[in-house]
Amino acid sequence: MASVELERQIAALHPASFAWALACTRWNATEAEEVLQSAYLSVLEGRARFDGRSAFRTWLFAVVRNVAASARRRRWLESREPWKQLLGGPGPDPAEPVLAEERGARVRRALGTLPARQREVLDLVFFHEMTVEEAATVMDVSTGTARTHYHRGKLRLVALLGPEDST
Amino acid sequence: MTPGEDEARLRAALADAHREDARHLPGFEATWASAQRRPDRRTAWRWAVLSTALVAAGVATWLVARPKPVPAAWPTVATRWVGPTDFLLETPDLVTLRSVPTLDPRGLP
Repeated sequence: MASVELERQIAALHPASFAWALACTRWNATEAEEVLQSAYLSVLEGRARFDGRSAFRTWLFAVVRNVAASARRRRWLESREPWKQLLGGPGPDPAEPVLAEERGARVRRALGTLPARQREVLDLVFFHEMTVEEAATVMDVSTGTARTHYHRGKLRLVALLGPEDST
Repeated sequence: MTPGEDEARLRAALADAHREDARHLPGFEATWASAQRRPDRRTAWRWAVLSTALVAAGVATWLVARPKPVPAAWPTVATRWVGPTDFLLETPDLVTLRSVPTLDPRGLP
């Protein structure tokens, strides 16, 4: 794919990609922006290459998800560096949602209690309007696994939201 | 609640969760430009591999081409073993014993 065309497609999906990056980082806007930058860098460097085996959006979301997972692992390792604890004690949790007081915070908190894969599949299906099959491709799991996470996540989120959200 | 109602409710809940996303959305141009400005990790990786290869080649060349230490010559005394009973061979006719007599073929019948 030509770089101009690639950039055009990525630009068109930028808001959706940011929304997905937010979901992958538990609505930490700063972190989501960094994840998106790193994902774009992967594309620019050719480390992530679109091969046409899936829809462009599915591929881009998979790249964003992988970058977010790497960033999460790196943060986890950094948070366990013993000298940091000796010098400054535990800092603020980077996964703490920075938009906690905004509208929808309750839903985000509820989503935050779900296992990552349940949260991801629900976000992809109910917000990004993907099929479970597409979500499975983004999450790099089988369709059956994605379907299991989808059903469990749905039941759990409905229970977490409680009856008052039914209107 | 029916499965259809559940799905509608979850769709609305997810929309709520994402309602404020746009407020924090960074501009595409800025994000794209920042990504382009970031150091190319591939280039850094290539440099690291190249440097390691050069160092390894240097070490290998030095190992192969370095002047070999000359093995020390064994002292003659140490290599010539003298048995404790050698003196018994030192007889007055030693010269006769050590030389092999030759026969002149012309003298043969």
